[in-house]
Amino acid sequence: MKENIKLIEEKELIEKAKKGDKKALSEIVKRYEQTIYNFSFKICRDKNKAEQIMQETFYSMVKSLHQFDHNSKLSTWLYRIVSNHCLMMARKLKSRTFVSFDDDDNLFEEKFTADWSSLPYSNTENEELKSILDDAIQKLAPEYRMVFLLRDVEGLSTEEAAQVTNLSVPALKSRLHRARAFLRKELNEALSK
Amino acid sequence: MIEEKKISCHDVMQHICENLGTELDSEKCKEIKAHLEICSHCQSYFKSVEVTIDCYRKYNVELPPDAHKRLIDFLGLEE
Repeated sequence: MKENIKLIEEKELIEKAKKGDKKALSEIVKRYEQTIYNFSFKICRDKNKAEQIMQETFYSMVKSLHQFDHNSKLSTWLYRIVSNHCLMMARKLKSRTFVSFDDDDNLFEEKFTADWSSLPYSNTENEELKSILDDAIQKLAPEYRMVFLLRDVEGLSTEEAAQVTNLSVPALKSRLHRARAFLRKELNEALSK
Repeated sequence: MIEEKKISCHDVMQHICENLGTELDSEKCKEIKAHLEICSHCQSYFKSVEVTIDCYRKYNVELPPDAHKRLIDFLGLEE
């Protein structure tokens, strides 16, 4: 019920913004800026780049809001815009090589045994853990990061994540399972040291 | 007599990564669940994938107030 009321309110806000109401536009920006900034950071792992991507995302939103037809949630539409900007930024800065998934069996080989029970994962301020998480995810190509973050971290449904990334559901699942297995393996190795 | 092929830990690990968080009732899923109940190795693997996801979920950054102001200015909006 509350969710429905929120959606109706949001629809009214969007319609006002489409007619040039700057207050409505500001309100939409305020509602989603934290989500967009956080998501951009999670893809690029750099606060300056995350801010730049956030600005470009909302600029695109303002320019093309008149095309938004309410066929998806506004958040899903914004995830699509921010994802495109993240990919464009990654292509511009292309200097890294990423892990390739030629042999999936490697993902399940266990050379190390970490003590996962001692992992201080509840402590989000643990700098050592943050560094491990940053290093691991940056080895994944942005297309794989995107799928993992949208589905597992942001909590989009498989169908919504497929819509955002323009992938079929089987293609999305294939990327997702590799990303999960790879990140888990990287953490396992890092925590074994 | 043909020996029935049993599900392996490798199959289970792959299945966990493919279907974590999805409720499925296929025959294979039932086999996976049965295997998980008796295999501590696969139970640990399952838990470690969940912990991996949880770590990334909890690692968030706050939008700095200055960045909010710069965004509003950049878009030509008002508070």
